[in-house]
Amino acid sequence: MHEMSIAVELMREIERAIAGRDIESVEEVSLTIGIMRQVVPEMLETAFGAVAMGTPAEGARLRMEFVAVAGRCRACGSRFEPTADSFLCPRCGQADAEITEGDDIVLTSLTCEERNGASESENQHRSQHS
Amino acid sequence: MKISIVRNILEVNESAARENRERLDRAGVVAVNITSAPGSGKTSLLEATVPGLSLEGMCAVIVGDLQTSRDAERIAVLGVESVQINTEGGCHLTASQVSAALDRLDLDGLSFIFIENIGNMVCPAGFDLGEHARVAMLSVPEGDDKIGKYPTLFQPADVIVLNKTDLIGVLDYDLNRVTDDLGRVNTRAPFLRMSVKTGEGIEAWLAWLRGLKV
Repeated sequence: MHEMSIAVELMREIERAIAGRDIESVEEVSLTIGIMRQVVPEMLETAFGAVAMGTPAEGARLRMEFVAVAGRCRACGSRFEPTADSFLCPRCGQADAEITEGDDIVLTSLTCEERNGASESENQHRSQHS
Repeated sequence: MKISIVRNILEVNESAARENRERLDRAGVVAVNITSAPGSGKTSLLEATVPGLSLEGMCAVIVGDLQTSRDAERIAVLGVESVQINTEGGCHLTASQVSAALDRLDLDGLSFIFIENIGNMVCPAGFDLGEHARVAMLSVPEGDDKIGKYPTLFQPADVIVLNKTDLIGVLDYDLNRVTDDLGRVNTRAPFLRMSVKTGEGIEAWLAWLRGLKV
């Protein structure tokens, strides 16, 4: 259940992102999740639901986009896409992959409800410069 | 209102891991993170390692356990310092927990720190603790299909230890299945067959550890 520690870190990043803004609630949280992280979506939703309780993100939807694994063979340098159970380089036959993609969890955006009713475009503009 | 962000949410762990590694480097201590399922023999391996390399007083053990201090008590008998991290249900150690454990240790004069992770084949895989080398261990009674079933534990490992090889004949264990799976997952790490009980493979393990100090 490593989803719990991921949920805790996610909540920390959300709090950091909304700090200093007049946010009533967070409606949606978008993130990309590398499949090497072995995140079970339902488990992350449950864990996040628990962690977000009593915060502006309580009840927020998680929009999860999964990212495939990509690797670079340390033996011959070629780039390839490992599968769930094979990290074999198709060129040289070694299983010595450096994982270059599919190993991160990135918070990409938050859709929020504001308290002061400022327009969406204004705030998008502001967020890009903050 | 949409707030666009690009934040790696594992950055907190990753930066704590980097700090741990730098701190250990400055002190000249090599840290080894030992991962496996519960009951593979992580503590037994340390019980063979400390006298095997004459590390009494020269190494420390950071031991993660869901509950109880049983592993830490076994370590204390070896004459090495240990710090217990009781995760109270948490299924893996984090770099911050290891950082707090390092605060409690006097790193001067230590050659090695062994980090005995929580027994779990999924969760510890994705969390760098700031170690210099990672051990992925499995044991014969767990079955010969584990590398294929849990490739993310074995893929990043620097050495793979198969323990309890004295039971291979008893359990009709298919060693070829293990080496076939390993051939698809990790051909970089040495594969050490070991029985902590009979002593098979211990010398190769100790030699591998000595190699980390060079």
